[in-house]
Formats: sequence, structure tokens, C-alpha cells
Amino acid sequence: MHELPIVLDIIRVMKDEAKKHGFHEITKITLVIGELSSVVDESVQMYFEVAAKDTPCANAKLVFEHRPAMLKCTVCGTEFPHEKSFDCPACGGSSVLIKGTGTEFYIKSFDGN
Amino acid sequence: MEVIIMKELLEANEKLAEENRAYFSGRHILAVNLMGSPGSGKTTLISALAKELAPISVGVIEGDIASSIDAENLEKQGIRSSQINTCGECHLDSRVIRDGAEKIDLRDAIVFIENVGNLICPAEFDLGENVRLLAASVPEGDDKPFKYVPMFSYADAVVLTKCDLKEAVGFDTENFNKGLRAISQAPVFEVSLKKGQTPAGVKEIADYLRAKYEALPKA
Repeated sequence: MHELPIVLDIIRVMKDEAKKHGFHEITKITLVIGELSSVVDESVQMYFEVAAKDTPCANAKLVFEHRPAMLKCTVCGTEFPHEKSFDCPACGGSSVLIKGTGTEFYIKSFDGN
Repeated sequence: MEVIIMKELLEANEKLAEENRAYFSGRHILAVNLMGSPGSGKTTLISALAKELAPISVGVIEGDIASSIDAENLEKQGIRSSQINTCGECHLDSRVIRDGAEKIDLRDAIVFIENVGNLICPAEFDLGENVRLLAASVPEGDDKPFKYVPMFSYADAVVLTKCDLKEAVGFDTENFNKGLRAISQAPVFEVSLKKGQTPAGVKEIADYLRAKYEALPKA
């Protein structure tokens, strides 16, 4: 639901960038989304299809690159991506979140003509 | 030709959040972004904290999808409140906060921003607050920190509400703390604010907020 303001932001940024680089249309936008950023690909895609009409991004393909939140085991120090569990895959110990990981949320790159 | 830009999103919200921060600090206001599920006891908590924080003035910017029930109830208690209806939007953003703050027009105060009841979206939007407080209620279950990692990991302090219901709903405090400690070092305050009974645990949160307020640079 909260992806709408995000999508509007993507389109706003892309309009500026298209102008800056002399592109009349954007063909591809690569987004980096961290696991903890609470952004759902499908929602972004759905809003984008509606909101991008009549903009230079109307036919752009969205590419999503995900980044996991990383955990560190408090027992053996192993660092591992958070998948299903907080338990260390190496020793079974409990882990803590490595602050700042998984919160990425930015436009990495775009392509156009 | 692919162009690399690495451009952060929600910049517009960030910019407005900074403006809100300047507005609050210019008026010597401690802004508290209070988040939590619908029914987790956010409004009741504010009401109890306002009594405990006296003589410091308390104001509330109320965010709800619809209705002004909460703001009206707080006004009855003498707490300056403004109501923002988001009309379906699942969180508050920086843009609407300034309006709400200007309506209550306070200085030298603690202002609570009561966010829309939701454990997901509000976590993403900086409002220009000094403190992020999360109200998690016992009936929601002890597994919530495992399930709503962003919200719990961004909170500066967690208030566990309705603690008088622990036994009735089989709440496992140890499991709750285990999940929370994996993602956050935030202090946990346990409260019980059952109607008609003496509130328990409010003083500790009030002390925590008062210390933050007293540490603000004078405007």
C-alpha cells in the first residue's frame, strides 16, 4: 500500500534523469531493495504500470535486486544472511542483526534511448 | 547505454523530515513517533504518560485513516491535539506532520505523533522525530519481533502493553525478548493500563522521555 509514494518518487527521479541525459524514453530501471525496507516488488510493479502512463518510463522494465539483512552469531561470530531463522547455521547459537544491513532502497541504474 | 545513478528514494520525505526536525528543535519540542498495531494501546499510553509528565506540556498529532475519536478523547483530558485523517494511506509522512504541529502550536513540550495502527509501513517514513516508540501489546503474541523485523529493529524503545493479560493469553516474555534482542538493543518497558485500575509501569517510560526532553538544546 505504501509503495505508491515510492513509485511516484521513482517516476519523478526518472523524469529528471531522462532530461539530464537526453533520453526520450527509459527502457529499464534497476532497483535495489533491502529485505528490511518493507517494499514489495509486486506492489511497486502494479503501481508503476498505472503511474508511469504518459511519462518517459511508460514502457520501462523494472528489475529488482534484493539485499538480505545480515546476522552475526553471538557464539562463533559467523555472519550469515537472514532467511528463516535467527539461529546460526554453523553452531546453532543465537545471532544479532548487523545494523544497517537489509535497509537498502535506491535506484541503482537505468537505461534508455 | 546503462547509466549508474545510485539514487536514494523517498528523498522528498527525508528533506521534509529534516525541516520538521528543525521546526521542533526551534520550538524546544521533543517529538515522539509512537507506532504500533491497531488496538495496541497507543492512545491510552499517551493519556497515561501526559498525566505522569506534568508539568511538561504534552501535545498529540493523531494519525488515523478516518474519524477523530482519539483526538477528541485526548482534548477532553486537556491535551492539545490535532487530527490528521490519511484517508486510506497506511502511514503518516513528513508532509502532513507540519500541518498537525502548527495546529497545536506548542513550545517547550513533548509532542507525540500517534502513527496509523500498522506494524509495517510507518517504519519506512522518518517524520523528523527525536524518539521512535513502539507499543506492542501482549495479546498480539510473543512472536512479533521475529515477524516484523523492520518495525522492531528501528524502535528506540519498546513498550509492552496490557501486561496484565500475560497469563490469560499465554504470553512467553522470554521468547519476546529473544526475538527483540536479536535485532535491537532498545529498552523494554512493561505496562498495564487496565481501566479502573492503578496504572503500572508508566513512570519508567515517563522518566525515559523526560530525560530525553531535558537533554534537548535550549531553543
